[in-house]
Amino acid sequence: MANKSGKDKDKEVQEKLAGAGKSIYKQIMNGENPSYELPVRTLGNIYFDKNSKTIKLGDKKSSRQFLNIAHTRKFMQTMLVASEIRKVIDEKATISIRDLYYALKHTIEGTNENTFEDQSESDPIVEDIEASLNLLREELHLSASSKGVITGNMKIKDGKDTIDLNKMGSGGWGVPSNVEPDRIEIKDIDAEYVLFIEKDAVWKRFNEDLFWKKNKCIIITGRGQPSRAERRFVQRLNREEKLPVYALMDADPWGMYIYSVIKQGSISLSYSEEKLATPSTKYIGLTVSDVDTFKIPKEVTIKLNKLDVKRLNEMKEYEWFKKKEWQQEFKLMKEREIKLELEALSKKGIRFITETYLPEKIKSKDFLP
Amino acid sequence: MAGEKEVKTEEKKVERPITAEELAKDFREHSVAEFFKKNRQMLGLYGKIRTLTTIVHEYCTNSLDATEEAKILPDLEIKMSELGTEYYELTVKDNGPGLTKETVGKALGMLLAGTKFHRMVQSRGQQGIGAAGVTLFSQITTGKPVKVISGTGKGKTFSLELTIDPKKNEPKIINLKDIEKQFQGLAIQAKFKDVLYRVSEQGPLEYLRRTAIANPHAQITFVDPFGEKTVFKRSLNDIPEKPTPVKPHPRGVTVDELITLAKYSDSRKVGSFLKNEFDRMGDKAVEEISRKITFDMNKDPRKIGWEEAEEIVKAFKEIQFIAPRVDALRPIGEHRIKTSLESIVKPEFLSVITRKPQVYSGGFPFQVEVAVAFGGEAGRSTNGNNEKKEGIEELKRMEIMRFANRAPLLFDGGACAITKAVNSIEWKRYGVQDIDNAPLTIFVNFISVYVPYTSAGKQAIADEEEVVEELRLALMDAARRIARHIVGKRKEKEKLEKKRMYLKYATEVALAVSEMTGKPKAEIEKKLLNIVMKRLKIEEEEENKVNDVSDEEIEKQLEKEVKKEEKKKEKKSKKGKKKG
Repeated sequence: MANKSGKDKDKEVQEKLAGAGKSIYKQIMNGENPSYELPVRTLGNIYFDKNSKTIKLGDKKSSRQFLNIAHTRKFMQTMLVASEIRKVIDEKATISIRDLYYALKHTIEGTNENTFEDQSESDPIVEDIEASLNLLREELHLSASSKGVITGNMKIKDGKDTIDLNKMGSGGWGVPSNVEPDRIEIKDIDAEYVLFIEKDAVWKRFNEDLFWKKNKCIIITGRGQPSRAERRFVQRLNREEKLPVYALMDADPWGMYIYSVIKQGSISLSYSEEKLATPSTKYIGLTVSDVDTFKIPKEVTIKLNKLDVKRLNEMKEYEWFKKKEWQQEFKLMKEREIKLELEALSKKGIRFITETYLPEKIKSKDFLP
Repeated sequence: MAGEKEVKTEEKKVERPITAEELAKDFREHSVAEFFKKNRQMLGLYGKIRTLTTIVHEYCTNSLDATEEAKILPDLEIKMSELGTEYYELTVKDNGPGLTKETVGKALGMLLAGTKFHRMVQSRGQQGIGAAGVTLFSQITTGKPVKVISGTGKGKTFSLELTIDPKKNEPKIINLKDIEKQFQGLAIQAKFKDVLYRVSEQGPLEYLRRTAIANPHAQITFVDPFGEKTVFKRSLNDIPEKPTPVKPHPRGVTVDELITLAKYSDSRKVGSFLKNEFDRMGDKAVEEISRKITFDMNKDPRKIGWEEAEEIVKAFKEIQFIAPRVDALRPIGEHRIKTSLESIVKPEFLSVITRKPQVYSGGFPFQVEVAVAFGGEAGRSTNGNNEKKEGIEELKRMEIMRFANRAPLLFDGGACAITKAVNSIEWKRYGVQDIDNAPLTIFVNFISVYVPYTSAGKQAIADEEEVVEELRLALMDAARRIARHIVGKRKEKEKLEKKRMYLKYATEVALAVSEMTGKPKAEIEKKLLNIVMKRLKIEEEEENKVNDVSDEEIEKQLEKEVKKEEKKKEKKSKKGKKKG
């Protein structure tokens, strides 16, 4: 990515927004039904790009029209969001998408209806604008709340502050919502790989055991489905620092899907996955075959439920899961009808996961692609 | 509503209709009052709200029948006042022929004196035990007599007070006085305790409203305990033809009915009794029966017992009879229903259909009348009765008005074939999006000499396959005829909503675009409003063009669906015949 200075980028963004506004204005002045185009963000319009190895948005566009009762409300909301973003950039501020929601929420004159009833109405509009203008949320001076934490042998320069991630105690460093190079600088890194852990509780175990110190790695968790800040930061560690990334997830369809989001992206953010995904990520575990390899007692496995099986069947068809290793894993999971949580390894001892399981897995390079 | 809860549990205990024989037997062994107290639920006098409705029903039915018989246009005045907690006084006045000093006692003071069991006729009065039962109920609950004024309109007016001697089942008349005043008709005043007046779907007001709808030739005035007066005006001036009595068809008779008929028979032999008392019963049939039974057909019919009657009924089922005659069926008629619904429900759209007679269960004739009324005062208000606030659109719920032989059925709706048929229809197909919350009144009159009631309460019609099918066809036909109006109205509403939506969002859009471009908001808004109005105009024009064609299209499409259903039904009945 060309690293433009903030000012130049702002100017470019403002021009794009102004252009969109002008186009709507022109249509209205010409007496036309005002409309704008935006890419379709559904499973039907995404594809797996073999070059970048990420999910990408297809060419399908839809037109959102003011004079279409199914679109009118969203059309109005899009205009409001675009206009607000312009104001925020003018004021050189950055606001959260929650701030944005509250800033724009008001009762429409003469009705008892609000412009936005819920943040779930304004969030997708932000994504629409990102996708149609091909801009990142951060470039629009918007931030989503982030929830992930990271620690390891490295320093971070955040504005004027330099933070030593070595000395973050039990809590770790909270990943900020904007981790773009102009905000966050990575310094003095001394690690051999990045470990992306699905669950916070497991991440805490690894931190408490100082796993990152003993094994020279960076540990990060997104506390479930990671937000884009965590994913973007891991991508930077991978690209800029050439660190391999390993994922440690529950052995269930949800954990495996989160892995796929880290590796090649999600459907709803498919328009910006090139800037978020880390295609070289490897899946360390858990897998169903771990049950045999590590002699994990049967009683700590969980029976698959209907929803799991349904999800499994869907995922089996995703192009990025077509590799034979994954198909085999899915098959095995379906045959045995079990899933396994990371915490289940505690049955073999509290430190089994950090002292036996992971070192052995990395040593034997027992990964899924 | 608490009073209605017990209804369901008590009703389950009733297994079969009680016969006059059994009643008479009981009268001898116990006092009538005792019997009455024990058997209230069988007589329709249970549940505090239901009892009051049943009482009103008994009196009104008598008045309507009497005026009809005397060819007088009925004028009914019902007044109810609250005397204390669950204590009411009811006055019912009609303009009928009145009663004579000789008949008044029998009519109002002797239980089962006027029962119609030996006269198979499509009649209103099928539930309850008549006015005498009401007299007794009043007496038991209050200890007071019933006051009666009767006049023929020719100077002969008298008043009296009446009670029943429960031991002898005989009327006791006191204070008999001649009155100078001219009066034609009958006025009854009685007091009741343990009853409750409610303005509910099962209360007296709703009962009278439905009675008025089924009897457009009657004028009914009701003053409720709060002093509120409701007048259901007469909307037609012709008195309906009386249904002709017919002999029972052998297929429809039960064992105890057969015994009862036999006891009252003048015939000397069972064979002639069967020929005399039953419809479609010829020599050939009698001969066939004689071959199927184990006793002598020359036996005195008055002496046949339960087992022998059972044999005969069993034989009836095995023999082919000509179907019952349909000329005893008396529908209200499309014109009459239309007139009364227009007068009382005042709907925006209305369709009424009286179907041709059909048969169920292999031979019982029945006929179905259906009306679907939409808009106006159709449907039940859910805002509460006295809280019509201004400016707030009244919320309406669909209501089903069930009738059997013109008598309203207010109870046990869930178990009724009519309710089942209404619920089985895909109302969306007829433009009704949410059937439960539509301003819709569905009127159904089921006509038959043998109404297949589900229980002795006689408030729900059994879901015989042919009955439900016929009801469905009738309902679909009626719904089809008003579908277009409903769709049109909905579209009109949608159009308005669309316009409102465009306009309210236009202001927001104009402001945002103005902020983005720095152009004046007023100018943008004005242009945007022009765009909206232009679009709506074009849409309307297009719709009008399409409408001319699609009117017929809708009609055709709906017609096809009804025909398909009819064909299905034909196939089914053919199959059934082959099997038979």
